[in-house]
Amino acid sequence: MNMKFFSLIVVCASLQLIGCEYDNYEAPKSTLSGRVVYEGKTVAVRNNGPQLELWQDGYALRSAIPVYFNQDGTFAVSLFDGEYKLVRKGDSPWLQQATDTILVEVKGNTIIDVPVTPYFTVTNESFKKNNNSITANFTVNKIVSTANLEYVRLYLGKSILTDQVQQELRIDANLSTLTLGQPTTIVGELPDNLKNLDYVFVRVGVKSTLSGEYYYTQVQKIALK
Amino acid sequence: MKLRYIYMGIMLFTVSLLNSCKHDDWFDRDSKNLITDEQLWNDPKLLTSLVANYYDRLPTMHGVFNTGGMTELDDAMWSGHRDQNWRNDFQFGDDYGRYWDYGFIRDLNLSLENIEKLSTQLTDVQRKQYIAEIRFIRAFVYFELVKRMGGVPIVTTQLIYDFSGDPTPLQVARSKEHEVYDFIYKELEEIKEDLVVNNNSKTRANKYAALALESRAMLYAASIAKYNNLMASPITTAGGEVGIPANMATAYYSKSLAASKEIMDGPYVLYNENADKGANFYDMLNKKTGKEVIFAKDFATSLKVHRFAYDNIVRSLTEDNESSSTVSPSLSFVESFDYLDGSKGTLHNKNADGSYIAYQHIDDIFANKDARLFGTVVYPGTSFRGKSVSIQAGVAIWNNNNYRFHVAPQLGQQLKEELGKEYAGGLWTGFDGPLYDAQDVSNTGFYIRKFVSDAPAASTRGTSAANWWPWFRLGEIYLNATEAAFELGQLGDAQMYVNKVRERAGFPANSVVKLTMDIIRNERRVELAFEDHRFYDLKRWRMAHLVWGGSENDANAVVYGLYAYRIARPGHVDNGKFIFERVRPARFRRARFFRMANYYASISQDVINKNPKIVRNPFH
Repeated sequence: MNMKFFSLIVVCASLQLIGCEYDNYEAPKSTLSGRVVYEGKTVAVRNNGPQLELWQDGYALRSAIPVYFNQDGTFAVSLFDGEYKLVRKGDSPWLQQATDTILVEVKGNTIIDVPVTPYFTVTNESFKKNNNSITANFTVNKIVSTANLEYVRLYLGKSILTDQVQQELRIDANLSTLTLGQPTTIVGELPDNLKNLDYVFVRVGVKSTLSGEYYYTQVQKIALK
Repeated sequence: MKLRYIYMGIMLFTVSLLNSCKHDDWFDRDSKNLITDEQLWNDPKLLTSLVANYYDRLPTMHGVFNTGGMTELDDAMWSGHRDQNWRNDFQFGDDYGRYWDYGFIRDLNLSLENIEKLSTQLTDVQRKQYIAEIRFIRAFVYFELVKRMGGVPIVTTQLIYDFSGDPTPLQVARSKEHEVYDFIYKELEEIKEDLVVNNNSKTRANKYAALALESRAMLYAASIAKYNNLMASPITTAGGEVGIPANMATAYYSKSLAASKEIMDGPYVLYNENADKGANFYDMLNKKTGKEVIFAKDFATSLKVHRFAYDNIVRSLTEDNESSSTVSPSLSFVESFDYLDGSKGTLHNKNADGSYIAYQHIDDIFANKDARLFGTVVYPGTSFRGKSVSIQAGVAIWNNNNYRFHVAPQLGQQLKEELGKEYAGGLWTGFDGPLYDAQDVSNTGFYIRKFVSDAPAASTRGTSAANWWPWFRLGEIYLNATEAAFELGQLGDAQMYVNKVRERAGFPANSVVKLTMDIIRNERRVELAFEDHRFYDLKRWRMAHLVWGGSENDANAVVYGLYAYRIARPGHVDNGKFIFERVRPARFRRARFFRMANYYASISQDVINKNPKIVRNPFH
């Protein structure tokens, strides 16, 4: 009786061990990393903002793999080797190209540049501290002809994560005096809570009327002392 | 030997017993645990209970006492248990508001087909009544679907698989957004006369409930047609599943207005039974009397109850040992209630030079406000269930040319000599807080009154609350009529309707003399607060992405509170008076952020996998 019971346990336990083989998948080992680029320049985005989507054909059921961005416009996803389709979704600072997918062959660590077409870009940006203000010089360029400017904004923040959602100060450019393709200036007076810091983070964002998201310049750290 | 005869005798006797049975009686009895189709579809009692099940399943988003949902917008934050603090720290996801209940649609279609086929013993009136009720519920469900998802597949029959190996006949494509609204209108027009038999009921759909749904749905369709096309880039799909052509707006507004007018000419009147306008507004929804409510979801003690009072009772009036105070109304919401003289509702806590305004009594800052504020919110200095509430954040002590705020370590603590002998005496922090960073006590300085039952033991889990949920009431219909008439250019009528609603709230006659869309929007926010309107209203006006812009510096997107402090400044004229400070509670972590993608929720990939004809919503 006792022996029988014991052998039963052994059988059950070994069955479970066998089961493991079939139940568990190995974690994906390959990485797809890259950045979104326009004319060779990385397009910076809002933290926790736009996303890309990856799809894989060949299975009965489909489900999207979301690709999240760092705010500097880079991304990295862990994947299995195989062929994927990369989709540029809407509500981003660039044109939606949902049907114009990019085929990506992932094998080991793969690096790609995803070309996008922003509605507007900001180039030649430079930031300067004068007394108690920050001066931003930059040029706004129109890329998509049907887009219209909604906002051009300078953001100041305490943390490196600075954008439309997280910032300490936001200054709007006067759109009526702004000329596309020509240098523009925004001056932001430092408020009391930023004045005495060692440094602030600055960024310029530009929003078209066609999307809810802004095109940003890369965050820059400006020493105040 | 003898035994054998006895056995045989018994056997014979038994066999004869069997023979004498009547087969029909013994074997052909009705099952005690199965209801056959013939029974169900022919018995008005069974049918009524079936329809009751459907009524109970009517969909809602932030309504029907959904405490959590009510704390996800700008009208309130979550001050309850910390395990749900994510409601103060989240972004509307792509699937926020997703709804795709075709199981329910199938149940309704099945019932309609079976009544047509199997209900032979019902009277004609009964048959028509049940059919009309179920079609009303189906229209209601389609309205919920189109509000959240845009144009959806319109399925009006059971979809039955024929095992042919080809599922395509079952795959119904999405209709255009306006086609779903047209379907709802057509259905309601066809059934409304059959619902007249229910006209004395407030909990079964009657003719006016059908008209009320018409009034609301047509208004939504009209404003989507108008405001979507006023956006810089309208939200549409190529096939029209999302987006309604602008030229359809006028027709929809007219349909909405016509339905509203028919209701206003009906037997309903704005609730006006209590001379105290604030208490009247509270009673209107808390009591089941009066002729305001058109269609409600009813509750009854010990039979069917809800725990809205348990969730949201003012802390010091708690009757249970856990929970209270969950929905904490926001300062921006409290300020949206105008003053009775017609001026904007901003609370005046500071002078232009930045110094505090000292008020004699703690509720003086709320004096002469729209009476609906009292009926909706419990603010400092008011009472609930006949007991005064104790809302006071702390004391303010003059120090270095400014007030310094001191909060007691315990709620309800009297100030002794902790802060110095000269300041001793009086209440330090109230029993009801507010506290900046605590659970089960208001974090904003306000509690919700609307929908919180004042019945005995309503806030206990044992008894729970039994006040009902109004799906439709006349106040909304007046505001629907206001908006539709305004959009159609009938300014005089629009003004008359809105002024009636405002008069009930304590405003003098003709308080609005120059109606604007902003006034209408604000009026809907205060009159219909927490009634599951705001999310949809801001969506259909295409204003949600502006109001909930996601910026942490935005007074709309961030929930603020207003904390009252008693001045302890012996010898000064302001000693014992009250000042008010605007605060952002620590538990409110992230500004409300509504993206373009949230105007229409994403359709589950699972649904698209099963039906490749389903088109994705924009941005998803």
